[in-house]
Amino acid sequence: MATTAAPVLPDGHRPNVPSAARRFPGIGSYEQVDREIAGTLSPTLGWFAALGIAILCMLVGATTWTYQIHEGLGAAGYQPPVMWGVYIVTFVFWVGIGHAGTLISAILYLFRAGFRTSIYRVSEAMTVFAVMTAGLFPILHLGRPWKFFYLIPYPNWRLIWPNPKSPLVWDVFAILTYLTISSTFLYVGLIPDIAILRDREKNPIRKAIFAQLALGWRNSDREWRHFTRAYLFLAAFATPLVLSVHSVVSFDFAMALSPGWHATIFPPYFVAGAIFSGIGMVFTIVIPLRKAFKLEHYITLNDLDAAAKLCLFTSMVVGLAYVTEFQVAWMSGNNFEQDYFWNRVFGQWAWAAWIMLICNCVVPLSLFSQKLRRNTKWLFFLSLTTNLGMWFERFVIVEPSLSHEFEPWQWGTYRPTWVDYGILLGSFGWFFMWFLLFIKQLPVMAMSEVKETLQPRLRVAHAHAGDVDHDLTEGTVYPDDTGAPH
Amino acid sequence: MQGVLGAFHELDSAVEAIEELKQNKVGDITVYTPTPRHEFEHVMKHPPSRVRVFTLIFGLCGVTFGYWIPVWISDYWPIVVGGKAIATWVPFTILGFEVMVLIGGLMTVFAMFGLAHIPRLTTTVGYDPRFSSGHFGVWVEADPDRVDEAMTILRKHGAEEVRRER
Repeated sequence: MATTAAPVLPDGHRPNVPSAARRFPGIGSYEQVDREIAGTLSPTLGWFAALGIAILCMLVGATTWTYQIHEGLGAAGYQPPVMWGVYIVTFVFWVGIGHAGTLISAILYLFRAGFRTSIYRVSEAMTVFAVMTAGLFPILHLGRPWKFFYLIPYPNWRLIWPNPKSPLVWDVFAILTYLTISSTFLYVGLIPDIAILRDREKNPIRKAIFAQLALGWRNSDREWRHFTRAYLFLAAFATPLVLSVHSVVSFDFAMALSPGWHATIFPPYFVAGAIFSGIGMVFTIVIPLRKAFKLEHYITLNDLDAAAKLCLFTSMVVGLAYVTEFQVAWMSGNNFEQDYFWNRVFGQWAWAAWIMLICNCVVPLSLFSQKLRRNTKWLFFLSLTTNLGMWFERFVIVEPSLSHEFEPWQWGTYRPTWVDYGILLGSFGWFFMWFLLFIKQLPVMAMSEVKETLQPRLRVAHAHAGDVDHDLTEGTVYPDDTGAPH
Repeated sequence: MQGVLGAFHELDSAVEAIEELKQNKVGDITVYTPTPRHEFEHVMKHPPSRVRVFTLIFGLCGVTFGYWIPVWISDYWPIVVGGKAIATWVPFTILGFEVMVLIGGLMTVFAMFGLAHIPRLTTTVGYDPRFSSGHFGVWVEADPDRVDEAMTILRKHGAEEVRRER
């Protein structure tokens, strides 16, 4: 947290300068939290427009997929020797996006990182929808998608014997476990907030739905006691899961013998890349969201600053991994590895590799500047370059290896077709459609957790209450339903 | 089930009321709070949650099952490769770990549901919608002859509203 940094002056009635003692100076009471966050659930014209665009993109993807099913996989850009293309690249991309959510909600929870509170709900939802999107791609990659259940590793009468030593089988277990635990984590965290919505809702149908989803939650001490403990253990389980899932995805490559893939650095390299890309997507979503919903006093500049530092750190880890890959190839004395890496950066795939290097290693260095870490426009731009760079990272991992294996007669190239691009666009439409539907049905911020950080209303003021943020908040009006001291 | 429900706007008032109710042993107390507060944990003096026991037991069951699945598959449908063991522990550790997290995580949530007595069909008795917003609630399950005493204590400590419920 940048709590020791020189404070920025409060911005009107919504000061944006939390301190260690008071995280949300712009929030005065529990009722204000309910009112403002529940207020984000009312649909707006902008939301309908965004949803319309997302559905349109999804329909483009669906139509393209229908065409591909009719024409066969040849409609996509596959040509020997490159039989993994945009679909596998995008699969890894979305699994990576799905990482930051559980990282922010689970790992930062265990580390008691304060900036987590305001962004973790959005990140968790992003995780679930990103993994749902990723799960589509192995199916899209199949020539006969209706036989997708052949992928599920259970002993069967089709003479397809599952091989539990294969990374593809590990992948199925890892992704399904991650999806299940992430969804559970999201839902469990939502229960107290759904209870708030249930108690506020006037529409009987919505009230009945919220009542079912809240499971009769009453905010009793018994419920909170078991809830907080279960949440802690779930976070403890989810933490190694975050690290394991992308490690397992990296095994899809690292267990093969192709040059550029067969490296022990892959698991940590993939995990760092996943966190980096996930934080990028969090910025892409959170920055417009905080502006559209006027949540600047919840998602403060300090929160964005702290997340930007995490982004910078993971960018440097990713950069180190790139350098290490080259160093290992150079020192290995293995001609195939050396030739592959030369071809990647200065040969056939240089254009993609340099997009990756500039977006992932050069642009994020700007985050050393506190001014830029606190500039939302810059962060948003940087999030887009991060997403672009991380998609190209997966492209650079998949395509150069397959197109430049051991023997020159095996070499080839890969050019995605409009079908690949259509389905890629459709995946963004699918993801944002679910996300936009989520943010208008359920709170984008953990209301009960935000309340936890506020000072409760007291009859007798705390002995040190006057010390808190006195200088920063002097003259600032805190909106409060009751006007009671707090 | 009958008792008295007090709604407080201030945290310290609710805590003091609970202290006196417990001192006088008026009846079983349930606290409603919009967000978990350690002040209530201290005054209620509940033992630690037993959720962790379920997490441990089902985590161990999960890892056992997670190892058993690939061992059984490999044994029943063996893929014989010269010089390689049929059941190999190192790659199976990945499945063991994933199933441990899956079963341990899900059972932690189910244990929380069981211990917290949810899902609950009704929230009406001894509950008020204000308790999910900004108020703290104290529900005292008292015998009829002690109801007045409970109401007096709650009012004395500044309850905004005190009412009988059954």
